[in-house]
Amino acid sequence: MSAPVFAIVGHPNKGKSSIVSTLSQDESVAISPLPGTTVDIRRYPMTVDGEVLYELIDTPGFQRARAALEWMRGHAGSAVERSDTVRRFVDEHRHDSLFSAECSLLEPVLAGAGILYVVDGSRPFGEEYEAEMEILRWTGQPSMALINMISDADYSADWNKALGQYFRIVRVFDAMTADFERRVQLLLAFGELREEWRGALEKAVHILREEQARRHTLAARVIAETLARTLTHVRSRRLTADEDMATARDTLLQEYKQDLVAMEQHCRDEVEQIYNHRKLERHEPRALLLDEDLFSQQTWRLFGLTRRQLVATGALGGAAAGSVIDLAVHGASLLLGSGLGAVAGGVSAWLTAERIANVRMLGHALGGKELSVGPMRNLNFPYVVLGRALLHWRMIEQRTHAYRGPLELTPRPEQVQLIDATTRRRFEKRFSRLRKRDNRRADLVASLALLIEQI
Amino acid sequence: MAHSSLLADLVELNEVLDADSAVDLEQRKQRDRAIGIDSQRYRNRPAAQVRAWLQQYRVTTAHENGLRSVRLYHLLCLVLVIAGLLAGWGLARTVLSYDGRQPINIVNAVVVLVLPQILLLLLWLLAMLPARLPLFSRTGAMPGFLNPGRLAAHLATVFGAKGRRGLSMLWDPEQAAILAPAARWLFSFWSQLFAFSFNVGALAAAFFLVTFSDLAFVWSTTLSISNEAFHQLLVSLSVPWSGLAPDAVPGLDLVAGSRYYRLDEGSLAGTAVLSPRQALELGQWWPFLIAAISTYGLLPRLLTLVISWYRLRFHLRKALCNLPGAPELLARMNSPLITTLAAEPEQAFAPATDHTARTPGNTHYALRCPVIHWSGVCGYPDEISRRLEAMGIEALDFLRAGGRQTTAQDIDLVTSLCKQKPQGIGILVKSWEPPLLDFLDFLRALRRECSAKTPLVILLWSGEDTVRAADLETWQATLAQLGDPDLHVEAVGQAA
Repeated sequence: MSAPVFAIVGHPNKGKSSIVSTLSQDESVAISPLPGTTVDIRRYPMTVDGEVLYELIDTPGFQRARAALEWMRGHAGSAVERSDTVRRFVDEHRHDSLFSAECSLLEPVLAGAGILYVVDGSRPFGEEYEAEMEILRWTGQPSMALINMISDADYSADWNKALGQYFRIVRVFDAMTADFERRVQLLLAFGELREEWRGALEKAVHILREEQARRHTLAARVIAETLARTLTHVRSRRLTADEDMATARDTLLQEYKQDLVAMEQHCRDEVEQIYNHRKLERHEPRALLLDEDLFSQQTWRLFGLTRRQLVATGALGGAAAGSVIDLAVHGASLLLGSGLGAVAGGVSAWLTAERIANVRMLGHALGGKELSVGPMRNLNFPYVVLGRALLHWRMIEQRTHAYRGPLELTPRPEQVQLIDATTRRRFEKRFSRLRKRDNRRADLVASLALLIEQI
Repeated sequence: MAHSSLLADLVELNEVLDADSAVDLEQRKQRDRAIGIDSQRYRNRPAAQVRAWLQQYRVTTAHENGLRSVRLYHLLCLVLVIAGLLAGWGLARTVLSYDGRQPINIVNAVVVLVLPQILLLLLWLLAMLPARLPLFSRTGAMPGFLNPGRLAAHLATVFGAKGRRGLSMLWDPEQAAILAPAARWLFSFWSQLFAFSFNVGALAAAFFLVTFSDLAFVWSTTLSISNEAFHQLLVSLSVPWSGLAPDAVPGLDLVAGSRYYRLDEGSLAGTAVLSPRQALELGQWWPFLIAAISTYGLLPRLLTLVISWYRLRFHLRKALCNLPGAPELLARMNSPLITTLAAEPEQAFAPATDHTARTPGNTHYALRCPVIHWSGVCGYPDEISRRLEAMGIEALDFLRAGGRQTTAQDIDLVTSLCKQKPQGIGILVKSWEPPLLDFLDFLRALRRECSAKTPLVILLWSGEDTVRAADLETWQATLAQLGDPDLHVEAVGQAA
């Protein structure tokens, strides 16, 4: 059995391309307020290792539906001949520029495609739609109407009444905001058009769900990898004999920060690519990227830990280190090691809250001096990177491919995802091992990814 | 498969994955899935899968760094083997030197050639304890300075490619978290290669001296140790080979006969001058010496060499799958390639650039003309008239076109209307519906039938709402395609 094919048809500018773009997750679909943006049909097959499971066809909108219907009425004897009359119309006008839009959109329908008729439910119903709906009825193909809510006003009740006279199934679908679950529900609804299409669509939905889960895992892994890289990154440079130490230190620190920013940008690019967003424009003040973005006070206030959390986190690490002494003396120290470790860790976290990374001067084996910055010692930093990455990821995951506005990355307090104390402890354990350059980095990244996935 | 090719693959993969992250993900997905399908036989062997991927990737790219690294690795192995052979040979020659005056003290020979090796072997065991145990991670690093493998690493850093691009990537601090276990076993492999060669060199020297010179062994002690006690000690030491080579276990007679007393002016017990038979007997210690070096030096080193080789291979394979980007690569190879994107590129849409139909807002027309409702614009005539009057348009009559009217009815309307030679014609349209070719046909018919100068005013109606700027823009841009200078597009304003 051949894969089900669905032609997205309708009036121009009612969101046909937006629906195709959202369902196919293809941002290359041209979407414009000007009528006639789609000039020819375009196919969007869903393939799994080359096997086509279903196909969507974006079509140009009706341009001369009244005239086309008049021709058909003039050539059809009875209801029995209607489908053949539509076919005759297409055959006779295929090369006629007057009806190029009508022929283009009717051809796949006459070849057996299911009809998905799209209207804008945020605008009132009008009599100009009747001719096109009548033509579609004449084709005799299974059809469904989709009420796309382009703006805020709601005329869906009127549309339901009108569409109900021409289409057996009417659904409301917002192509701009539909989340993944709504998208797959709509695909499943296409299966209601014809019984034999249901199996292929259910299989497609199952595969899409698996793919979505894979994307989720992959994105979490990319974020975990970025965290590991930013935490363990070291930048070093050999100093010349006459180089000013303070200037070299500032330059190297700035370069180190730039490296971290580049790593964050790379992480975003990767996450966007995972979700097929390649042309995304991000709204970030480029000129202020370094000091007002990843390292800005506002960013750290929003995504970082509070002083209290910071001290608690530091104390946790200190207690863990101190407990080694308690263990070594079989508890004879009455947990003094853990206690003192916690106090030392907490105080240290408080005092070094503003410090980014260690700057060290090393003697070089072959003579001369080497200046080195990193790895990141600031307890707050990974939480800032994590918080920002989670915000970006959530925005990307929810964004449909029909939406073409820029991605606003200026965080608002309500968008910041809070991490509870238990999860933070789990994160801290792994961050601490990464800071120490634990040999089991791969395992740590994998467990970090798992934690991120579960947030 | 040799671990040297694993090493080359690791160096190359590290480089390739770095560069590959810049390639578009969709391209990577397609390419990697195709390779994944081709290498289905490695499905549950991730390292083999990654190597199969690299093999395919190499077809299009150069892979010199890997080969160069392996050449350096082989060179270092050779240097260590030669150094080990020379050191073993040299030390054995020194310890077993006999000029006919002072017989070789067998205890000295065993202590120099065997005992340090046993101690170093214990240090090796200490160094190879799992690093994850906090105490052992420090103690394991302590004997590092004794490790010839680390010396080889220094040489590789000096003579090889710098940073992460060559063999030295294995101990590069940036990669330490992933590659440290492999580096640890590489150092171990190198050090055991040296030690094994050392034993081969020592044995070769011993065989050489035994074969081509006349050696005499004795033993001596300041302590009051009886011949029997010393013999018992030697028998205990000889347990490992006593079954295989009983001749290499010194007998009590040999022990008693080769005891050396300083007080007897360098003579053997109770003997003033050595007879030829006695001299021959003193040489009979050599099987014991060879067996001791083989058992306590050569064989353990062979074992540690094999263990190091095996562990190095294991960790190189593991590192192949853990390099940054490798888990993602494996995921791409093993996940079905799902595409929902368009099969072909979209045909270019060229919007009109001529905007002659655009008119500035707030125009006052001073027109008395008929107004056509296109496609059944909703609204009360009085309300519409009032709002049009605010624009200077007095509606003489309201007519209908488009929508449920037939195209023939539209043509009739145009004909009759133009015959009246109106001052202008207002066409009321729904601002939210875009102008279709059907409407443009109607405008062309009007222009054909009426005077070329008759103003045609397209009145965008939005009911109770204000006409959106985007809708006005759409109408203006679309109607501009007609190139009609007397075609105006106006938004009907709100009621005052």
